[in-house]
Amino acid sequence: MISALKYEWRRLWSVRATWIMSVSYLVLVGLLGALPIYLDKNGPTQSWNGLYSASSNLLCLILLSVIAAQTFGHEYRYGLIRLTLTEFPKRERVFIAKLVLLFVYYVLIATAGWSVLGVIGATAPEGKVSADAAGYSMSGMHIPQLWQSFVFGWGYLVIAFAITVLTRNLALGIVLPFVTATLGEQIITALSTLAKGRMDWLVHSLPFTNGDAWLSGDSDLQQPGLVYLAWVVGILLLSAIRFHKSDA
Amino acid sequence: MRVEAINLDKYFKKVHAVNNLSFTIEPGRVTGFLGPNGSGKSTTMRLMLGLDSGSGHTLFDGKPLTHHSPVTRVVGAHLDAKFFHPKRTAYAHLRMLGSESGVTKARVNEVLELVGLESVAKKRPGGFSLGMGQRLGLASAILADPQVLMLDEPANGLDPQSIQWMRDFLRHYASLGRSVLVSSHLLSEMQLLADDLVVIAKGDLIAAETMKEFLARASAGAVVVRTTDSRKLAEALQAQGLTLVASGVDELRVPEVTSDRVGHIAFAAGVPILELRTESASLESVFLQLTENAQEYRVGGAQ
Repeated sequence: MISALKYEWRRLWSVRATWIMSVSYLVLVGLLGALPIYLDKNGPTQSWNGLYSASSNLLCLILLSVIAAQTFGHEYRYGLIRLTLTEFPKRERVFIAKLVLLFVYYVLIATAGWSVLGVIGATAPEGKVSADAAGYSMSGMHIPQLWQSFVFGWGYLVIAFAITVLTRNLALGIVLPFVTATLGEQIITALSTLAKGRMDWLVHSLPFTNGDAWLSGDSDLQQPGLVYLAWVVGILLLSAIRFHKSDA
Repeated sequence: MRVEAINLDKYFKKVHAVNNLSFTIEPGRVTGFLGPNGSGKSTTMRLMLGLDSGSGHTLFDGKPLTHHSPVTRVVGAHLDAKFFHPKRTAYAHLRMLGSESGVTKARVNEVLELVGLESVAKKRPGGFSLGMGQRLGLASAILADPQVLMLDEPANGLDPQSIQWMRDFLRHYASLGRSVLVSSHLLSEMQLLADDLVVIAKGDLIAAETMKEFLARASAGAVVVRTTDSRKLAEALQAQGLTLVASGVDELRVPEVTSDRVGHIAFAAGVPILELRTESASLESVFLQLTENAQEYRVGGAQ
């Protein structure tokens, strides 16, 4: 397993896209954290927790989903999967190594993002960031806990990773989660309103609607965190089965 | 290391791509893998490596590939000249592939030098020619110095010097006791390179034998003789019960006879000989003869 992890580590950092996306993520996180503080000088005081939640903004996660999709996407696009599986014939080892390395990358980049936000908060004008403030988040009034932001982000990356394996298409791995979260589920929710509640069961089952409800503390949905988790685990299992059974 | 492919079988929906193939690749020998386009050569190689799902199994030294570690010391494969990330440098590509068996940086540089890519080692291979891609593929395959090499059409896109280099390299590699399986459409090249042959067509095994045995399947070679008096020589040969199957103005072709005998007959008849040579069956002629009705895709529209 160590050699498979080493292989993944080298694969990850030997393409320029990883560096570009990582730097872009940190810049975007920094902008989302700093702009409300510096542009609106008379605005409300931000809490530390609210400041840190900028790292799990959907725009930031889209950048990281590129890395997640590339984990298998590049392998299928350029035929490298055949070299990888010749080197590591036990497919479960490849799948787990890729998932573990993606998680390690996510931990590193999230820590780097929080560090950027920490510097922004520490250097902000006096009174703009405070531990005592109620704060605000970009996705609603409720500010999620740091671990919730982290878990939501990880779920989003796993979905991008798994869709790439299922479709064997890098672009779909990036676009499908994003379009589903920002457009697809919104349309279904709007249709549900028009259907006067007859589609509520569907809305209550949507992955990102539940994930967002879990982050924002929306109490209308039953166990939104669990529904989101079920989606993440379910789609990951499907992708693992497909990877195990399909021709390389 | 001996490689045994046992009952390999694969369907693509209703197409029987590989039909119960069994053959052996012996150590110390180069085994040529021949077949018309679409005959299932690449699919067979992928089945042997466990890349495609199908039935049957392949044993490397009596064990499946999954039972070996590190795998890259057992088998090195080159399946396509474009299997690389266009933006990952050749050096980084090989460093990544060397992870499993702990290949050193020095070995990566050595292999790049061996295949003649040291000057472009830090360049992105997106702009590589087909020939350069083949060299990078071969470098990937030999990186961990494996006991078995499996190469799918490695000579495509190579210039004549590179083809000769690859032939010498593969023969040397086999001479070290390693097993080499190489598919190619360049039959004249294969005749110079391979010791053994595996020939398939439409997924069926046509032959798995030595090159010598395969060539012997063709009608026995003929002797071609050029003389200043072909009429007199023809009479002398026919008087000895020999048959002439074709003749030019000053040339005779005599099948199923040795050049020694023709020489003696000509000498006895007092006919001067300008040229005397044995025309042996070529790999191409035997291959075409055996796969005549087994082409998946024919030129000229006929099926």
